[in-house]
Amino acid sequence: MSGDNPTPIETSSPVASAIRRGPRPRRIAASLHVEDRLWQVATRVAVTVPLLGLLFVIIILAVKAWPAIKVNGPGYLTSSVWQVGNFYGAVQHTHGVAHPQGAVYGAWPLIAGTLESSLIAIIIAVPVSIGTAFALTERLPKWIAQPLGFFVEILAGIPSVVIGLWGVLVLGPFLAQHVYPVIANHVPNVPVLRYFRGSVGYGEGLLTSGLVLSFMIVPIIASTTRDLFLQVPVLPKEGAEALGFTDAEVARRVTLPWVRSGIVGATMLGLGRAIGETIAIAMVSGSVLGTVAPNIYGTMTTIAATIVSQLDSSLTDGTGFALSNLAEAGLLLALISILVNLAARSIVRHTGKLMAPVGRG
Amino acid sequence: MEEVSKFKVASSALDAELARLDPDHDRPREVIATKGLNLKFSDKTVLSGVNMNFERGTITALIGPTGSGKSTFLRTINRMNDRVAGFRHEGDVLLDGESIWGDQQDLLTIRRRVGMLFQRPNPFPMSIRDNVVAGVKAHGIARGKQLDVVAEMRLTEVGLWDAVKDRLGDSPYRLSGGQQQLLCLARALAVGPEVLLLDEPTSALDPISTEAVERMLRAMTPALTLIVVTHNLGQARRISDQTMFFFNGQLVEHGATSQVFQNPREIDTERYVQGLMG
Repeated sequence: MSGDNPTPIETSSPVASAIRRGPRPRRIAASLHVEDRLWQVATRVAVTVPLLGLLFVIIILAVKAWPAIKVNGPGYLTSSVWQVGNFYGAVQHTHGVAHPQGAVYGAWPLIAGTLESSLIAIIIAVPVSIGTAFALTERLPKWIAQPLGFFVEILAGIPSVVIGLWGVLVLGPFLAQHVYPVIANHVPNVPVLRYFRGSVGYGEGLLTSGLVLSFMIVPIIASTTRDLFLQVPVLPKEGAEALGFTDAEVARRVTLPWVRSGIVGATMLGLGRAIGETIAIAMVSGSVLGTVAPNIYGTMTTIAATIVSQLDSSLTDGTGFALSNLAEAGLLLALISILVNLAARSIVRHTGKLMAPVGRG
Repeated sequence: MEEVSKFKVASSALDAELARLDPDHDRPREVIATKGLNLKFSDKTVLSGVNMNFERGTITALIGPTGSGKSTFLRTINRMNDRVAGFRHEGDVLLDGESIWGDQQDLLTIRRRVGMLFQRPNPFPMSIRDNVVAGVKAHGIARGKQLDVVAEMRLTEVGLWDAVKDRLGDSPYRLSGGQQQLLCLARALAVGPEVLLLDEPTSALDPISTEAVERMLRAMTPALTLIVVTHNLGQARRISDQTMFFFNGQLVEHGATSQVFQNPREIDTERYVQGLMG
């Protein structure tokens, strides 16, 4: 039996055999309880649902948009003409797709409007948010910083339709009467700044849209940035103070760099919101189709605003071509959002590379 | 006899001559002095009645149990406590004979003259080189190409140059804890302080790094005056000339380190240095 073993253990005793076997191996896969199995299934479902949801949305959009993509071709991205055609006239066929006579679609003004208004919003919102976050965490006494921080968070919860209404009824007209003319009349006629000259309109347009968007994303960026600042360990800041840095130098050279990648992330979150914001922009942009704003005050539209403002009339296009074009616009918007997210990730990874203070400090 | 006294006269003349050459000869011997210093947070007194002179070029160890007020004392000297809510002080701290709270004093200048090294390494989120010259840049001591010279000089001084010379542009957070602390030391030394306050500078370091830092500290005197808070009694014995023992918000005893450890006057000091009280 056990020729090599000089002291064979008595195998009949359960204790002895248990000792010989050693502790029961706790292999996860081999000994799953019902609870563990449920947990595994639940987490798998949870991780799959959003993924499937995204895929589903993209696929449905692509299928719906396919007729429009076939007819428009790549020119859709660069053309500025947006004509739905005659819904009650003859039906034409291009590449086997039925569409009303005279229907021509180009999304360039929508793309430009989306990017321009979001860019303006970010340019305004990022410095304001960082300043707000600094004030809340470093400058103001606690008894005023706390309610103010709460107020900023409440601001994030105001429905965009309310802000849009305020924008179109109050902010836009006020700016067009009292602020825009001052800027337009005093800016020198040189490249870039020339864009700030010319007709200021009635307050519905690109700059008003950017401002309204910045109102909506400041709370997001500011509250995220405040939370980031609160996480900066006190030791490096004290080190900078002890070295004779001024408060501003501590902020600029220690606190801000410490959370730089987080602020980039928060900014991209805000940018994502700005790009996709719909109803407020539909209200304050002036909603003109087919033209890019001639100056910063000019009326314009964005992809999202166009989709919502055109949806009603598109449903009356018997060929479904107008709807298919909106689907193409929606697909474009989804792609831009995904691109922004990817860009954010790569920026975060890149800026975090040199200085990520992981776990130390 | 005649010969010896002649020699004595000669040597005292030499001493006088040497003393005259000392750039600090017309300044007070005690670079830091505290006069009846009481420290309070709100109404709670954390330290009272501290009268102490810190002589130029010496190392003083501040020892005592946790909560005895020694760290608060240390952080008062470069006015780090001023910002703390509820902090109040009575009495005075003199830097070169002038109150650190005086109207003529500039806080940033005090911080340049009185540097600080912390419990744990705290490099700034910038490259290794930029860390070393951060203070130099902020105080406008050097700029442009000079900064590279400063960086090399200070890193060499703390014995870190060879380890980091090929990665000056890298993040400091990838260095070991000991290297990070030496980097912070280089950063503190770069602005040319007269006094360096050290708040348990090796408590987060391994024994080998601790030895490296201690070696550095010993080498820095008498050019610098060091005040070191430490829980490591062995460290206090190894590196300090003077030792102050704090207990229950009082300065219980101070004197030469050998006296405090080998022949303490107070029973509490004796119990503490013998390890009977933690």
